Amino acid sequence: MSGLMEHLSIGFGVAFSGINLLVAALGSFIGTIVGVLPGLGPINGVAMLVPIAFAMQLPPETALILLAAVYVGAEYGGRITSILINVPGEAAAVMTTLDGYPLARQGLASVALSLSAWSSFIGSTIAIFGILLLAPLLAKWAIAFGPAEYFVLMVFAFCALTSLLGEQPVKGILAAMIGLAIATVGVDANSGVYRYTFDLPNLADGIDFVVVVIGLFAVSEMLQMLENLLSGISIDVPKSERKLFNLKEMAFTWWSTVRAGFLGFFIGILPGAGASVASAVAYANEKKLIESKDPDAKFGKGDMRGLAAPESANNSAATGSFIPMLALGVPGSGTTAVMMGALTLYNITPGPVLFDTQPQLVWGLIASLFIANVMLLLMNIPMVRVFASMLSIPSWLLVPGILSISFIGVYAINATTFDLMLVVGIGVIGYFLRKMNVPMAPLVLGVVLGDMMEQNLRRALSITNGEISILFESPISISLWVAAILVGVVPPLLRKFSRKNEIHVPAN
Amino acid sequence: MALNDRVLGIGALFFAAFLTWFGYDLEAPFTYEPVGPKAFPLMLALIIAICGVRLAYKGGNTVEPNPEGANFRIMTMIIYVATYAFLFQWVGFILSTALMTIFVGRLFNGAWIKCIVGGVAMGLLFFLLFDKALDVVLPTGILGDLL
Repeated sequence: MSGLMEHLSIGFGVAFSGINLLVAALGSFIGTIVGVLPGLGPINGVAMLVPIAFAMQLPPETALILLAAVYVGAEYGGRITSILINVPGEAAAVMTTLDGYPLARQGLASVALSLSAWSSFIGSTIAIFGILLLAPLLAKWAIAFGPAEYFVLMVFAFCALTSLLGEQPVKGILAAMIGLAIATVGVDANSGVYRYTFDLPNLADGIDFVVVVIGLFAVSEMLQMLENLLSGISIDVPKSERKLFNLKEMAFTWWSTVRAGFLGFFIGILPGAGASVASAVAYANEKKLIESKDPDAKFGKGDMRGLAAPESANNSAATGSFIPMLALGVPGSGTTAVMMGALTLYNITPGPVLFDTQPQLVWGLIASLFIANVMLLLMNIPMVRVFASMLSIPSWLLVPGILSISFIGVYAINATTFDLMLVVGIGVIGYFLRKMNVPMAPLVLGVVLGDMMEQNLRRALSITNGEISILFESPISISLWVAAILVGVVPPLLRKFSRKNEIHVPAN
Repeated sequence: MALNDRVLGIGALFFAAFLTWFGYDLEAPFTYEPVGPKAFPLMLALIIAICGVRLAYKGGNTVEPNPEGANFRIMTMIIYVATYAFLFQWVGFILSTALMTIFVGRLFNGAWIKCIVGGVAMGLLFFLLFDKALDVVLPTGILGDLL
């Protein structure tokens, strides 16, 4: 317990420094806006800010706090459009439309908005305590991992990510392999051989992950926006008399919120599952649980518990997904993969030793998550109209703005035209891949983990002089293989058997 | 040509062939380890090829074609973005951004006058914000002497 207090004091010491407080507030604000804007989700927001944070020479913990605040903020922001106009602002907010929008129709828009901000806060808070307790334990366990175990762990992460994301795992595997292949470009660290560089000096250091991420999540996103040109979104919501939820409503939704918070946290820890899956599972779970006991439940027609549960779950899952990144160095979602990529810009490799070598980074981040959450709760109740008004920014201004900021970021890394051209090329390829339903998250994970995965494999094989049996020797490796096979096989089977009461989870 | 899984599969096979073609001759002049620089890329190529064969063999999942006019807009956008990338360093941030905003804005149905005002304002404001206030260095290009 004394360890916990010590960690907290390190963490809050970092989090309460002036610049970090400022950055947390700014990140929360930007994140909420990113979440509000349909078509932009946490991964886009984080991807655009990574290079800018780096170019501004923010210290690593400050940069990470900024990105984390954007991530959590986007999960808050996504609910606003779900409730007001029935359009989820980001993938994890789909479930929020089911009961949020009917509530707004009944003149309870402000109540729904404030109540869902509260549930988001509770969900995140549960997950933050979860991180505090679990992450150091996991890191302690993982510190014994050798290269073979690490390699298998990464295989497991890919299996989980590809099988949970979509109907067609083969496309997930393909995406992951493309990502890993992109990571092989450049000088091979072990032998000094140039791989796939075609004598271009710009490729000697490899393709920067920022280039890939901006191409995939800014340029190809824009091309997708051009498919259907939306004219301005108008918000027409019945006037609500009350601004804030009352204690009765809080008590009414309390257990749903708490249950969903715990559920979301555990789903968030699993690589691949993430916030969209968590909110869907939490909603389905509450609906089943409550409808069996309470005949008056009106899920889908404006039940507040159906609003509170998915909001709590998506925030706790987003927060929980920091655990595999911090404790194992293997991110479990597209967004945390981008954050881990940001750390590698600073030459910091996340992993179990991070808790010893960079305590101010880890605990500062965790404390800042808590502070950002308080800020988000405070911001999101009174300022909800300000955020909603962002929807009236016309796309003829918004799209060039996003493009410009993306290019500023890419240019800031190496200051070359070559990188910008590469962004365009990757964006176009990414657009076609998206059209053919190839998921983007495994691709990003591949780019971020590529080097580490290859290095660990080669190191492991060096130990045994090329015998691949080392990958199947230790009990940890064997159980990770079993887990990888289970996670690869079970969800598709489950999907096959439960077609009837299927919940559609959008792949992000 | 309609996009479907067969097209994706064939694309994947080409990519696998590309990785193999340019990866096969990678040899380290000195080796300290049993696994050289080409094993990992070739392993990836193999898995990509297996995915490709499966997708090409099964086919199906034809992608719904874009609504009318969308393909033209997307092509135009690609040209604009590529031009922006090309001009960014050479002409400088302010001018290239103003131009890009005007043309991309037009593509998103903005009125000429609004796009022009928005473009010039965005170029200037972002330059001041990022280059001057946040210390993110941006290219000045042909305005170099003025700034």
